[in-house]
Amino acid sequence: MTRTTPIRTAFRVGLVAVLSIAMLVPMYIMVVNAFKPQQEILLSPLGFDLATLTTDHIAAAWQNTSFPVVEGYAVTLFLVLACNVVAIGASVPAAYTIARTPTPLFRFLLFFFVAGMFVPAQIILVPAIFVLKALGLMGTLPGLVLFMSSTMIPFTLFIFSGYIRMLPRSLDEAASIDGAGRQRILWTIVFPLMRPIVATAFILNALSAWNDFVSPQLILGPGSQFRTITTGVYAAVSTYTTNYEIVFPTLLLAVVPILLIFVLMQRHIMGGLSAGAVKG
Amino acid sequence: MARTTTTRRGLLSGLANGLMTLPAAVVYTGLTVVPVGYAVYYSFTQYNGIPSQAPTWVGWENYARIIADPIGDLRPAAWVTLVIAVVGAFLVNGAALGIAMLLRRTTAFNTFARAVMFYPHVLSALIVGFLWQAILGPQGAVNNLLENAGQSTLPFLADPDWALVTLVGVIVWAQFGVQLVLYLAGLQAVSPELQEAARLDGANGPQVFRHVTWPALAPTVTVTIVTSILSLLKVYDVVLGLTNGGPGDATQTWAYEILAVSFANNKVGLACAQAVLLVVVAGILSFTIIALRRRAEEGAEAVG
Repeated sequence: MTRTTPIRTAFRVGLVAVLSIAMLVPMYIMVVNAFKPQQEILLSPLGFDLATLTTDHIAAAWQNTSFPVVEGYAVTLFLVLACNVVAIGASVPAAYTIARTPTPLFRFLLFFFVAGMFVPAQIILVPAIFVLKALGLMGTLPGLVLFMSSTMIPFTLFIFSGYIRMLPRSLDEAASIDGAGRQRILWTIVFPLMRPIVATAFILNALSAWNDFVSPQLILGPGSQFRTITTGVYAAVSTYTTNYEIVFPTLLLAVVPILLIFVLMQRHIMGGLSAGAVKG
Repeated sequence: MARTTTTRRGLLSGLANGLMTLPAAVVYTGLTVVPVGYAVYYSFTQYNGIPSQAPTWVGWENYARIIADPIGDLRPAAWVTLVIAVVGAFLVNGAALGIAMLLRRTTAFNTFARAVMFYPHVLSALIVGFLWQAILGPQGAVNNLLENAGQSTLPFLADPDWALVTLVGVIVWAQFGVQLVLYLAGLQAVSPELQEAARLDGANGPQVFRHVTWPALAPTVTVTIVTSILSLLKVYDVVLGLTNGGPGDATQTWAYEILAVSFANNKVGLACAQAVLLVVVAGILSFTIIALRRRAEEGAEAVG
């Protein structure tokens, strides 16, 4: 490490700086143009004139009935939490049982669940719609939550069972001798120890639920009273892609919160991703 | 007597075990396994998705239709998907590994840069598509800049070939951050002593990389290649935002074909056959890559 010359370091820093700027330019264009009238967006996409900056278009995007911003956020946040509760709540006991029961049946069960990781969600969406119709859950939030959770269960269960296997069995046995039942051992002793891996699963599931477009679009239906952020943006923008007074403010409203969360939680999100990959 | 209690206890604990796995099994079976079964069944039928009309069994007809491709609409989609998967995987992994090497040391500046490289991944692919469409479209920011500078505009999204290249570029921009994080994690595991020893033996930077770092990264490379190809094969949202499959069918991916063409036109049987084929191809590809990479990974154990 003592070998690196100052010129090399300067070169590296310069290169990284240039790349970072290249990554950020689209964000800059979005933010700046969200406050400009169409005329000026077309005339000077990168510059801004303090005299003509306006929040009118942001206000208009906020009131756009195609993308009800507050409701969109409420629905999306609900999906993130509900899917995580279902996926994690169902995976913890199943993963615990699978990890602690070394019989061929349960080894097969793990394989059965893990196979689901290779099935892309949007591919089984078409037949899943027919299942939801048969259950009377098509077009409803519970139906959407159940479908999205089912696509999260394979990975969640897989990393959980790997993690539980690393926890010493003597913990369970000691608690069992003290008279604790299975459920109590699981939820009061094992589950608290699983905090890091639960956080990882939560973050990864949350990202995929937050950004999912196809599932809510097809399961809730385009005419649904419920809009998520992505289906709302699609409804508001897809037919007006050259009306930049609509495009940029709408996109800005859709990305600011998730970017703020990312800035605040950056270490956890990126750490969770690599932890998930190492375990997975 | 003793025996009956133990069997009963065994039975009871077996039942308890079963109950613990029940919620996960029910949700997963009901909405993933059963749909996969239905997809396979529908793929052998002609079905328009209307409940009052039962699917009619047509055997391999849908698959024959996909392979023969009589109206020539599927070959472009297969080609586009192949280009995205192969070229995209190369670029995503190349960019991710290259930048991971630049950012491997944990300094404040590098931590900031890592976050900057990664942030597109937290945006939804649909929004990424719309954003780049506003930047590279015929009326977009870049073409306006060119026009104002007196240059001719560039057909980023208007020309079929340009549009495919642009699509791959946008996908790489949005996705390489994930693989970057995986490479950074992999690089942490490369033994610094071994690298230092190689340097002391007179190896230069590229030699250390080739003979120490790269072999030790082998398991990471397998994971990043497989995960990137799996996600590139099902690209859909970003296409919808960026080009909506156009111009013509120049950027229609296989997933676009399934959802926005076959399913949208009530060809449920055909959509399911296309979906089944995609899963089969994805499975074969992943297992082939994992098998091919096994030798490289054995090398990694020798080095690591």
